[in-house]
Amino acid sequence: MSDSVKHVVIVGGGAAGWLTAGVIAAEHCADSQSGLKVTLIESPDVKTIGVGEGTWPTMRDTLRNMGASETDLIRECDASFKQGSKFVGWVTGEEDDYYYHPFVLPQGYTDTNLVPCWRERHSDIPFADLVSFQPHLCEQDRAPKQNTTPEFAAVANYAYHLDAGKFGQFLQKHCTRNLGVRHVLDHVRHINPAGNGDIASLQTDKNGALTGDLFIDCTGFASLLLGQHYDVPFVSKKHVLFNDTALAIQVPYADDRVPIASQTISTAQDAGWIWDIGLPTRRGVGHVYSSAHTSDNEAEAALSQYIEKLSGTDTAALGSPRKISINPGHREKFWHRNCVAVGISAGFIEPLEASALALIELSAAMIRDQLPATREIMDVVAARFNERFLYRWGRVIDFLKLHYILSKRSDSQFWIDNRRTETIPDRLQELMELWQFQAPSRNDFFQIEEIFPSASYQYVLYGMGFRPAGRETIRRSDDARTAERYFQESAQLTRKMLAALPSNRELINQVKRHGLQKI
Amino acid sequence: MANHALLNNVDHKDLKIITSRSADYGDNVMSAMTFADEFRSVQAHYPIFFLKQSDTGKFQAVAVFGFEEGENLFLDANGWDASYVPLTIERQPFLIGFQAATGGGSGEQQTVIHVDMDSPRISKSDGEAVFLEHGGLTPFIERINSVLHTIHEGVQRDSAFVAALLEFDLLESFTLDVELNDGAKYRMAGFYTINEEKLGELDGEALAKLNREGHLQPIYMAIASLSNIRDLIDRRNARLE
Repeated sequence: MSDSVKHVVIVGGGAAGWLTAGVIAAEHCADSQSGLKVTLIESPDVKTIGVGEGTWPTMRDTLRNMGASETDLIRECDASFKQGSKFVGWVTGEEDDYYYHPFVLPQGYTDTNLVPCWRERHSDIPFADLVSFQPHLCEQDRAPKQNTTPEFAAVANYAYHLDAGKFGQFLQKHCTRNLGVRHVLDHVRHINPAGNGDIASLQTDKNGALTGDLFIDCTGFASLLLGQHYDVPFVSKKHVLFNDTALAIQVPYADDRVPIASQTISTAQDAGWIWDIGLPTRRGVGHVYSSAHTSDNEAEAALSQYIEKLSGTDTAALGSPRKISINPGHREKFWHRNCVAVGISAGFIEPLEASALALIELSAAMIRDQLPATREIMDVVAARFNERFLYRWGRVIDFLKLHYILSKRSDSQFWIDNRRTETIPDRLQELMELWQFQAPSRNDFFQIEEIFPSASYQYVLYGMGFRPAGRETIRRSDDARTAERYFQESAQLTRKMLAALPSNRELINQVKRHGLQKI
Repeated sequence: MANHALLNNVDHKDLKIITSRSADYGDNVMSAMTFADEFRSVQAHYPIFFLKQSDTGKFQAVAVFGFEEGENLFLDANGWDASYVPLTIERQPFLIGFQAATGGGSGEQQTVIHVDMDSPRISKSDGEAVFLEHGGLTPFIERINSVLHTIHEGVQRDSAFVAALLEFDLLESFTLDVELNDGAKYRMAGFYTINEEKLGELDGEALAKLNREGHLQPIYMAIASLSNIRDLIDRRNARLE
């Protein structure tokens, strides 16, 4: 009996399930007789989480490699363009307190160290504004490309804001029509184990026992296979990142001329923060908070206040927000025997940097690239997958925590508690000490394909007012002239781009009417 | 600023059109729109490229006359130095307009001729008359009418041509770096041409389809037109002397 891996079964049909299905099916020729068989089973009774509206720039490549169309994405998923995040009120909470974490690298980042020159000569200018054109595009609600730019190509590096539910449907359509993914709409009643402890098959209501060689758990909070069936322990990270509840709601625009924001806005609150994602037809807004530091009623009131201030909308007319419980943390391991978890079934953390969809992409990509040829080699791949993703989860938590430890707010216990040393991961503490004397750089992060590049750390560190002590002696790569040249370049690019780029609304309307060319 | 008027033999009884080709009359343009039906004639003199229209992002064919905005290397003291002038140049200052058809309410449109009254070609004294003494059409305006219709039909058929090019992946982006005798360098970017490699790989079924739909000939005409780039460079170099 051959132990070749020929059939992959994905359980669960939200963004995790369909992205994973698409990524694997495209590469492994699921539409061909001699290719891998890819089946996705989803229950008609179980709803998807319904939020998850920000992506990273990697999503462009993920979709392009799958053969999907950006024109269709924009038309069918109520999608708009995301150029980074704007963090409002995270440092002092004053009116003028905001900074950008854009997607574009600082101008000249790979060539020189820009930080000393900024500190010494331009410290009155926000770091991101000086080194990148992107915050300026965002302040003016500009699109990151033109209608003549080909699909998935960028003038300014960008990602997407989109409707989570429609995104799932869009992917489902592409996977089933174009990529050869088999779709089974049925409920999994229980798991049938094999003699050796593997999953032999899934017992369904109408389709009998569904067998497979590799089972991918995309069942969300239920974690049906990895969590419930295999009882893989959950590692809570609540002692590091306190937020454990979200209230989500959709807010319409006053009219169709209100600008669509170019970035996710994250506004700090007394015990958490509010996300604000602008799609063409409405905004997705939500309050992420710590139930230990505030009550549901207070949190809802803060959300209403935000919405009223923002758009003058009478929040009573909007209905109640949806409450989602978050258990911040992840499974102790993700791949156990012939089962691997992708998405919320693997772990969940507050969406402060929209890492959830990115982790799904990375997981799907590694499964695709390293898909074990046989059951025998699967354990080797599983061990490597677990090592890699445990490392990545650690980095996500470090990076998110960074946003909290740099705050100077002490107007509520939440902010004070967030800076207590015992809540800060050791590795992050160590890096913070190091960064007193040198800027974050590639040398600080050891893996290829780090989840957050060192530039991201610079944007947050310096955006939040971190003032390093620096070193006493000079070094060549701190040359001010080179840095000044790049600051000039960034200013020139800003001028050119502001002159040439349309607003988000203009571009999206054009794409809806005429589409984007593939070349 | 264009000032389009519906051509009629009352307001425009004495209208004359200067037909000489010159920068004075706005012929100093780097390119002009063309379409597949015209490629056969255009390719004899001008390189044909495709570029994206700025309002829709859709592909459009152009005949190229120079290397920078405002440069038409075919214009000299004697006029236009080529035996064929692209129709979208020839038609000026006229353009096709649409009007609801008379006999009301049918919703149908009929084509009519509009003239840009702000054009420097408009004259009371010089050039070709538009109307005859008693209001009839001159051979000149009949020719213009025919040109406008050819353009109109050609442009409509062009969308099928472009769709076929995209369907078979036959367009590729193209950057041409030109160096002139005086060392000046030009980069022509943002243009697209026929991807000859992809064309060569098409199977019989694809070729038969393209042939049946009348797309094969303009594809080869566009490819042939590229040898005119050399001619453009020579014209530019000649002006340096």
